[in-house]
Amino acid sequence: MTAAVHLEAVRVTAGDQVVLDLPQLTISPGERVAIVGPNGAGKSTLLKLIGALVEAQQGRVEVLGRNLSPGGGPAPRVARARASASVCRALRRETGLLMQGLHLVPRLTARENVLIGALGRLEGKEAWRSLLRWYPAACVQEADAALAALGLASRADTRADRLSGGERQKVALARLQLQRPRLVLADEPTSALDPAATQQVCAALMAAVAGPGQTLVTVVHDLDLLPQLATRVIGLAAGRLKWDLAIDDLTPELLQGLYGTGPTTAAQAVSLAPITTVRLARA
Amino acid sequence: MTGLVQRRPTRPVRWALPGGRAGFAALVACYAVLVAVCLATLAAAGDLSFGRNPWDNLLKTVGDFARPSFLDVWFGPERLEYRSDDGTVLRVENRREVEASFLAAIGRATWVTFQIATLGSLLAALMALPLAMLVARNLSAPRPLAWAAKGVLDVTRAVHTLVFGLILVGIVGLGPTAGVLAIALHSMGTYGKLFAESIESLDMSAVDAVRATGAGPAQVFFHGVWPTVLPQFVSHHLYVWEFNIRDSTILGLIGAGGLGLLISEAVSLFQWSRLATLLIVVVALVVAFDAASRRIREALL
Repeated sequence: MTAAVHLEAVRVTAGDQVVLDLPQLTISPGERVAIVGPNGAGKSTLLKLIGALVEAQQGRVEVLGRNLSPGGGPAPRVARARASASVCRALRRETGLLMQGLHLVPRLTARENVLIGALGRLEGKEAWRSLLRWYPAACVQEADAALAALGLASRADTRADRLSGGERQKVALARLQLQRPRLVLADEPTSALDPAATQQVCAALMAAVAGPGQTLVTVVHDLDLLPQLATRVIGLAAGRLKWDLAIDDLTPELLQGLYGTGPTTAAQAVSLAPITTVRLARA
Repeated sequence: MTGLVQRRPTRPVRWALPGGRAGFAALVACYAVLVAVCLATLAAAGDLSFGRNPWDNLLKTVGDFARPSFLDVWFGPERLEYRSDDGTVLRVENRREVEASFLAAIGRATWVTFQIATLGSLLAALMALPLAMLVARNLSAPRPLAWAAKGVLDVTRAVHTLVFGLILVGIVGLGPTAGVLAIALHSMGTYGKLFAESIESLDMSAVDAVRATGAGPAQVFFHGVWPTVLPQFVSHHLYVWEFNIRDSTILGLIGAGGLGLLISEAVSLFQWSRLATLLIVVVALVVAFDAASRRIREALL
């Protein structure tokens, strides 16, 4: 089986600043990987690179067996551009994104937002009907079940713009479940959630990748959640890979060293505190 | 590469007022100077007068308008006798019959006015939609096309409905067709601007989210763009429609049919009581449509 993600000599730059510089990184299918590091370390950029939202200036990027490298072949320009658009759409169908820049559609209900996750796999007559928001009954059942599992059964008919922040995050997660992605990329999935919602979202995230060969890559700020979300942890600082370890080999010193390399802020000190000393009750 | 999340930066403002309170004070001062110049030049030309006896005229007008024709007929004498100087009865008129036929004519004219406004608005909305999609910056249409569309919308918005009406009466002849086309051409500019703005205010991160699930272009449009934009389009449509009902009551003045034709008749024959009746109908029509459209627009939000 090919690797879920394979990066080689990848360089992402913004102006003359190097945002990300990775000699080599491979993630196998079924792995749970967490990316940690201080602000500006390139965590989100790495996630977006894998999600085909950011393009590398140099190097080789392969995600789910598809080559996303710049200038992927000797084909003439136009043909290559077309191919890359269809490759991108196929890839998006198999990649579930949970990110801050991706909102719910405000005027649709929670259930309709969840059903959007199923759009990519509808075909033929069903795809045409979906334009009128007419979904197969099986999809609707699946959506209701996903919402119920997250405790949102009573909110299924509420418009997305009338949901609270935590509820929206859960709906986005249910949408991701309906998408049945092979690779899930989550950028701080539990930021701004209360402890109960954090646990629900984590559980649902793990349920979304419970199938065989489903891979999870998360950017985590809340180091408490590492044992729950990851079996492998990647430490990034200033766009470079500092270490790449199994969760069991992770030590507080390593984490502290990682966060110490950048400018330390109070927020980072707080996020480090739980794993080194006591759990902090969050407001 | 994917068009997802990567956004073109918004263009910087080319010139700006000096900031802060000083800037605002300067703006107010400029405005005050402008108003003063307007007043002073009018006064200097001697055009700033209220006529010879404004109060008498006002009272006379109010008196005329206070007796709308239908009330006059209702409470006044039924028979109107036209006599010659020596007292012979020339003609006897049943005023109620005459008034009834006038009211029937008003009914028909109101319907024509409504038809003009409705068809004109719909035509305008249909013509404006593709242009608005070209103009909206976040859909990034080719620049020359966007400029051309913006030019068309600006020109049609700048020319008043009555001016379009005068031109069109010359082309398609007297009647409601000229009215419909005049309304359509002028409101196209308004629609285009409103539609483009509602497309531009779209939450693109929601559209991105739909695209990120691997949905095709049509699915992205119908699930990400359409649900957000449609209620705004309907709301704008009702608003402009309402506006056009007001506008089309005037169009008859230039021969484009509807209530305006009766208004211009009443004015030129100095039938102030009939004009009062007509104005009551116009106000009732506009107020009723305003109320209905406000209800619908509130329900849509």
